[in-house]
Amino acid sequence: MPLIGALPQPITSAPLVILISAVLVLMVASALASVFLRSAVFATGAFAATMVLIALLYLAIAPFLLFAVQLLVFTTVSAALLVGVLRRTTGVDSTQEPFSREWIVGAAVAAAVLALLVVIVATTSWPVRATVNAGAGFGSTLANTYVVGLAVLVVILACAALGGGLLLAAPTTARPRGR
Amino acid sequence: MNVGLNLVLAASAALFAVGAFAVVARRSAVLMLIGTQFMFMAGSIAFVAFARFSIGAVNATAGAAVAIFAGAIAVAELALGLAMASLIYREHRSLAVDTDRG
Repeated sequence: MPLIGALPQPITSAPLVILISAVLVLMVASALASVFLRSAVFATGAFAATMVLIALLYLAIAPFLLFAVQLLVFTTVSAALLVGVLRRTTGVDSTQEPFSREWIVGAAVAAAVLALLVVIVATTSWPVRATVNAGAGFGSTLANTYVVGLAVLVVILACAALGGGLLLAAPTTARPRGR
Repeated sequence: MNVGLNLVLAASAALFAVGAFAVVARRSAVLMLIGTQFMFMAGSIAFVAFARFSIGAVNATAGAAVAIFAGAIAVAELALGLAMASLIYREHRSLAVDTDRG
């Protein structure tokens, strides 16, 4: 198959190289932390941090739509599902008040990360947008070229939501005494 | 100093290894599901990296499209897995997946 246009080149811009290297190292480190931390709450927090760092990586090397979907949909939905299960099982909010010191620190960290992301996206002259060469028509390509895939995806997500709801609504089996 | 395909693929492989370790070595259903998420994301990163640094000259948006599909499938798998983990907790008052083991 003939190639269209020039081959992509490695990223050589110094700020972007530093950003991507730091993001990759932090991504693997936070993934390791989420696996090895004993507290399920902290493990979930490290998992969310890993997802945000993957979104930052996408911001540097992928179309902007992928960064937005990764950050706003995948990260928030995954973290919300995990926190919801932890609240149902281990009682996360039974030991901590809604406005305790830990919650305030967590909210401050989340706000700082969000502000950093806003600054990065708003700074148009920074090399992020220079590397996003396929971002312009990605949305229309996704809706035209991959329309069958999107339709299948909608069916799969609906089935997953229905199956999850049915599983959660299933009655609990009575356990025999003495176990 | 530059960033090319090799560096991103190495990080992707490391993330996949962390996820595989979580699935194999941890007993908690939640941590195992987090591990599967890492494995999905590692695959997505590899697709995006190939699209950006290598075969993207043919179709630059294919890698990102696959990443979006893989992420959505990962979220669906997480929803079902967490529903099953919640059922396990209801039955055994534990999130360990081998609570029935002798």
